[in-house]
Amino acid sequence: MGKHVVLLVGTKKGLFILRGDGARKNWAQEGPIGAPFPIHHASYDPRDGSMYATINSTWGGARIEYSRDLGKTWETSKNPAFPAGSDRTFYQTWHIEPGHAKTPNVVWAGIEPAALFKSEDRGETWELNTALDDQPSRATWNPGAGGMGLHSIAIDADDPKKMQVGISAGGVYTTTDGGASWAQDNQQRGGTEDRPDVFACIHKLLAHPAVSGVRFMRVHQDVFWREPGETTWQNRNEGLPTNFGFAAAMHPRDRATAYVIPLHDTERLAVAPGIAVFSTNDRGATWQRNDKGLPPGARLGTVREGMQTDRLDPLGVYFGTSNGQVWASRDEGKSWDVAAQYLPYVTSVHAATIE
Amino acid sequence: MTLNATTLREALEGLVSAHPSLAERLRDEHGRLRAHLSLFVNEENSRFLGGEDATLRDGDIVHVIPALSGG
Repeated sequence: MGKHVVLLVGTKKGLFILRGDGARKNWAQEGPIGAPFPIHHASYDPRDGSMYATINSTWGGARIEYSRDLGKTWETSKNPAFPAGSDRTFYQTWHIEPGHAKTPNVVWAGIEPAALFKSEDRGETWELNTALDDQPSRATWNPGAGGMGLHSIAIDADDPKKMQVGISAGGVYTTTDGGASWAQDNQQRGGTEDRPDVFACIHKLLAHPAVSGVRFMRVHQDVFWREPGETTWQNRNEGLPTNFGFAAAMHPRDRATAYVIPLHDTERLAVAPGIAVFSTNDRGATWQRNDKGLPPGARLGTVREGMQTDRLDPLGVYFGTSNGQVWASRDEGKSWDVAAQYLPYVTSVHAATIE
Repeated sequence: MTLNATTLREALEGLVSAHPSLAERLRDEHGRLRAHLSLFVNEENSRFLGGEDATLRDGDIVHVIPALSGG
């Protein structure tokens, strides 16, 4: 098979794998893989083909597993661990981010309580980033409704030493030296009001994978864009039906295109006239509603790891829902088909493009 | 499995020695027993027997019981 897409679908009852055909029309479903434990996030590392899954079971504590054979067999990592004397204890993992192509073997993990861990051996062992952990402002972090986790690890396209992390609810921190030091990065421009604490509850922060300095961020309230050289976040919520949501994705080639799924801010469900993916092709200046193929009127929900794109042309976009569906678009988000349904509550969707 | 141990703590050490992958399932990084686990000696919860210092005698049976929650 030539280039094809494999979807890693995390659910509240285990990891499912959807293996697509070359046309991305038919999906062979496997799962749950292993025991049906809650999966917060699963991801694929295009550098070496590894897969990672965060298994957040209360039975024996949370753990990270990795696969070197595209999901056929899995091994357990050594847990992220706070050093002796720390006031904190590893609870669960929220996100696994493969490192930059220039840093082979490096993988990053965001955990709860909010902290950043680095692996230099492809996810087998983990070491705490102490510079972030030692931030005096850590005392001001608070858990959101889902807990207090570090869930976004945005690595610059050109320079792996330039990264941002997003914390719920602790805001954005930026490093330009590979994590040796960090600075709070929460200045915004635009929007309807000046809220210095607006970024306390980040929902998803993304770095464009091809263009250095381009960022897109979904916050508890509003969405924001950043262009190269900018040091503030530009409010880009105008044109969206609500200012709330979790899922966000960027087009891997078009530097001005991104996707969000707006939700009701307290119900955490899509608003009338039903679930839709909104896209922009001008850095958030305008937004278009895309619902062709989606069920009219359906008030579905999706969460922070719930949407991603593949790397094919035309672009594939995928999202999972709280009612156990995975939706797929093969035309850059314009129209949608069901890739899977009757799954448990979908917590994450990751699109692995296999060469 | 059968272990030679005079205390509950020694029994857990013996268990981990025989099955190292259980180490992180039983304790956190600070060595504390995971919060969702209860240890029983025969039919008595170990918290009433001195915790991990509970004395074991020949023939005692230890159960490690995880709390179950969720759907």
